[in-house]
Amino acid sequence: MIKEQLILKNPLHTLGFEMEETERKGSFGAVTSRAGVGKTAFLVQIAISSLLKDKNVLHISIKNPVEKVNLWYKEMFFNLTQPFDVKQSRELWEDLLTRRFIMTFETENFDFSKLTSRIDGLKSQNIFSPQFIIIDGLSSDEPIGPELARFKDYAAHNGFTIWFSVRTHRHQTADPLTILHQMCGGEDNNLFNMLIQLLPEKEMIQVKRLSVTREPLPVAHTPLFLDPSTMMVIKQDSLN
Amino acid sequence: METPIQKVRNIGISAHIDSGKTTLTERFLYFTKRIHRIHEVKGKDGVGATMDSMELEKERGITIASAATYCQWKNHEINIIDTPGHVDFTIEVERALRVLDGAILVLCSVGGVQSQSITVDQQMKRYNVPCLAFINKCDRSGANPFRVIDQLKEKLNHNAVPVQIPIGLEADLEGVVDLISMKAVYFDGDFGENIRIEEIPDALIEMAAAKREELVEAASVFSDELTDAVLEEHEISEKLLISAIRQGTLQRGLTPVVMGSAYKNKGIQLVLDAANLYLPSPLEVKNEALDIDNNEAPVTLSGNKNDPLVALAFKLEDGQFGQLTYIRVYQGVIQKGETYINVRTGKKVKVGRIVLMHADQMEDVEKIEAGYIGALFGVDCVSGDTFTSSEFKVSMTSMFVPDPVISLAVKAKDIKSENNMAKALNRFSKEDPTFQTFVSKETGETIISGMGELHLEVYIERMRREYKVDLIAGEPSVAYRETITQSTPFDYTHKKQTGGAGQYGRIAGIMEPISEDEFVFENKVTGGAIPTQYIPACEKGFRSCLDKGPWMKYPVTGMKITINDGASHSVDSSEMAFQATARGAFQQAYFKAQPVLQEPIMKVVIETPDEFQGNVMGSLNQRRGMIIGSHDVGYMTSIEAQVPLAEMFGYSTVLRSMTQGKAQFTMEFSSYKQVPKSVLEEIEKKNDKKTKTA
Repeated sequence: MIKEQLILKNPLHTLGFEMEETERKGSFGAVTSRAGVGKTAFLVQIAISSLLKDKNVLHISIKNPVEKVNLWYKEMFFNLTQPFDVKQSRELWEDLLTRRFIMTFETENFDFSKLTSRIDGLKSQNIFSPQFIIIDGLSSDEPIGPELARFKDYAAHNGFTIWFSVRTHRHQTADPLTILHQMCGGEDNNLFNMLIQLLPEKEMIQVKRLSVTREPLPVAHTPLFLDPSTMMVIKQDSLN
Repeated sequence: METPIQKVRNIGISAHIDSGKTTLTERFLYFTKRIHRIHEVKGKDGVGATMDSMELEKERGITIASAATYCQWKNHEINIIDTPGHVDFTIEVERALRVLDGAILVLCSVGGVQSQSITVDQQMKRYNVPCLAFINKCDRSGANPFRVIDQLKEKLNHNAVPVQIPIGLEADLEGVVDLISMKAVYFDGDFGENIRIEEIPDALIEMAAAKREELVEAASVFSDELTDAVLEEHEISEKLLISAIRQGTLQRGLTPVVMGSAYKNKGIQLVLDAANLYLPSPLEVKNEALDIDNNEAPVTLSGNKNDPLVALAFKLEDGQFGQLTYIRVYQGVIQKGETYINVRTGKKVKVGRIVLMHADQMEDVEKIEAGYIGALFGVDCVSGDTFTSSEFKVSMTSMFVPDPVISLAVKAKDIKSENNMAKALNRFSKEDPTFQTFVSKETGETIISGMGELHLEVYIERMRREYKVDLIAGEPSVAYRETITQSTPFDYTHKKQTGGAGQYGRIAGIMEPISEDEFVFENKVTGGAIPTQYIPACEKGFRSCLDKGPWMKYPVTGMKITINDGASHSVDSSEMAFQATARGAFQQAYFKAQPVLQEPIMKVVIETPDEFQGNVMGSLNQRRGMIIGSHDVGYMTSIEAQVPLAEMFGYSTVLRSMTQGKAQFTMEFSSYKQVPKSVLEEIEKKNDKKTKTA
C-alpha cells in the first residue's frame, strides 16, 4: 500500500513527462542549476521513485563520499514516508537498499570509460545490474561531447536510463539548453532527451521543465518546487 | 615538573591503521632528545619502535596498547599517548581521548580519510577534543595532501585549513612552505635534524599566496583584530595569525593542517611546533565533574593545583611490581605518601609510589599536579575511578564503553594452565572493559568476548606468551538477541495455596516492542491493585527473564512492559510471590508477542586495489552482505558493506588470499537486524545439538 501511494508522488510524472520518455533505454535527462540549489536532492527523489518501481538504481557521485549519498537517500525517503506506518516504512527502506548501489569518484579520477568498465564489472560478476543511473556532479564548463556520445550508445545498448546533474556557473549567461549543447559540442550533437532547471525564486526553488527542442512543451503540467527547508519536492498548491 | 601549566600539552595521536602514528611518535622522541636512535616499527634491526613495547606489537607491526610518554619541545612539556588504529582496540583510544586536552589526527596522504579515521574523529567529537591534522607519507607515490584536505572537509566536516604547502611530492618531497612566516623550510642531515629556512621557490609563490589568503580568511572568523587588519589592509603579523588559528582550533571551529613524512623525517619539528602553538594547555579545556552530594550536578573544575584533588584513573596495567594505574590530575595535587578517597568505593587509599611513564620505562617523582598525567603503584582501583581529597566528593563522568560483539570459548589443556588462565583473564578484563569473561552456566565453558577477532586473537596470544597458558580456543559465537514484534496483553495469576505459607499474586498489563532502549518498565497500576511495595518486585521478576529469552535463550531487548492491574492477598502475597508472578506473565505473553532473533550487522569497509574489487564484492555477497557502495580513489577502491558478523569469521584470511595481501578491511558494529529464516533454522539446529551434547 505504502509503495503504491509513494509511486504516485513521482516528480517526473507531475512535471508531465510520459512514462515512455522517462524509461526509454538510452535516454538522457539533465537537471541543471548553480551550485547548492538542490540538484542532488531532486535526483535522489527521482531515484527513489525508480526504486519503488523495482528498478535497480546505480547512483554515481563525483566528489561526494558514499556515506553522504546514503544519508541523502535516508533523509529523503524518511521525509517521504513520514505520514505512513513506521514499521512498514522501515521494511520498505530495507527492501529498496537491495536495489541501490552507490559508486563515488574523486573528481580527478572520473571519466566515462572508467565508469563503463566499472559497470561492466558489476554486471559480469552478478553483483549489480543497473537499470536507472544517476550521475551527480558534472560541471557544464567541461566539453565532453565525444565521451558522452559514446556513453549514450553504451546506455542504449545496455538498456539504461540516465539522469545527470549539471552544475552551471554565474558567469554563464546562456540558457540551460544552450549550455548543454556546448557541453555536447554543438546543437546538432544534443544528447539530452529531458531537461529540468532548478531556479531559486524568492524563498522557494522552482523546478522548471524545459524543452530540449526549443519547441513549446507538449502538455501543461503542475508547477513544482523544492522546499529549501527539507529539499523535498512540493506542488504549488501546497505552498498556500 | 617546573614547566608552567600554560606550556603543558597533553595530546593523543590517533588515526587509521598504518597511517604512521607510532613512526611519528618515534620521531617526536628523537627530535626532543628523549631517545638517541630511531627504531622503525618493523625495522631491519628487529628492535621495534619505542612506543610498541609489547613483543606482539613489534612482531605484528601494530600498536595494541596505548603507550604514554613525555618530552620537551621549545619550553613546552608534551605528554603523548600513542593509540592503536584498529577498531578492535577502540577502548584504548576512548581512554586516551577522555583524559587528553588535544589530539593530532594522522592521515595518509595517499589513503586519506579512511574508515577508522572516521571512528577516531567521532571519538574526538564525543570528548570535544581540539585537534590538528598531520598529512603523513607525502613521500609516497600517489601522495595528494590537497585531496586529503578536501576529504577532511567532506567526510569529517572539518574546517580544515593548511598552514603549509608541500615543496615537491612523492620522491621529490623536499620540504614545506610555512604559510605563517611565508618561508620555505627544508630538513637536512641524516635524520632531518637540521632545519634550513629559505625563500619560497618561484614556482610555488603564487600557490603559497593563494593558500595564505584562504588561511587568513578562515582564521579571521575567530579574531576581530585579524578581521580589522584584513579589512584595513594592514600587514598581518605572524603572532596575530597564530593567535587566531589557535582560537579557531580551541573552539573546534578550525583544523590546522600540517604535512610531511615521518619516515623520511620531513616536517616533524613543525608538527611539534603546531602542537605547541595550536593545541590547548590544561587550563584552556573545560573539565567537569559530578557533585555526588548535590544530585550529580555538574561542577566545573578549576585546574588549580591549590584546590582539592580531583583525578581520574583511566588505564590499568598489571606488571611485575603490581598494578600500575595511569591517572590524569584535573585539580589539586597528588602527593606521594598522602591519602585520598576513591569516590566509587568510598575507601581511603594511600599513595605509595608515583611515576612518570616513558613507554615501559618509569621515572619516580614526588607528586603530580593539576594538568599532568602520571601513574601510581599499589593502588587498587578500576579504570574510570575518581580520586579526590577527603573534603571534595565529586566523580568524573565515565568513558563510553561499547558492548562486545564476538565471543569464543577457551579451555586450558591442564591444571597449571587453568590457574594461569584465570589470572590472565582477571587481569585483562580489569584493564580493558571491552574484554569480558565469564563462565557459561549451561556448559561450564569459559567464554571471552571482545570487539573483534583481532581483539580476542591478541589476548589469546598474550595468555600464551605472558602467562604460559596452553589453551584451546573454540569457534567464535555471535551475540544474538531476541526481541518481540507485536504488542500483546497479559494477565497472569500465580497461586500456591496448598497449605502452609502460600504465594499469591496477579499482574495484568501489556508487553510491547520498542525500537530504542533495552527494557522499559512502566507502572500504571491504580487504586492499590498491586500494593506499592511489590511494584519493584514485579520489575525485578520481569528483568530476570531478560538475560535468557524463553525461546532461544539469548538476551531479550527492545521491550516495554506496562502493568496496569493486578491483585494481591493479604497473607500470601510477598515480594517473592510477585517476582514469580512477573516471570509467569512474561512467559505467558512472550510467544504471543511474536519474538524474532536478531544478529549484529557490521559495517565493513574494504580497501582494495581496483583489480580485485569484483572478487571482493562477490565475497561479500556470498556472506549475505549488502554492498552500500564503492569509492574510487585512483588505483584503489574502498567498498562499504553491511555484513552479518556471523559471516565474517576468518574473513581476513580469505581477503588476504584473494587480493595477494594487498587489501585491508575494518569492521565495526552497525546495528542489529532480524535473522533470515534459513539462517534461523541453522541456528536452531546448532543449539539443539549443543543442548544434546551438554
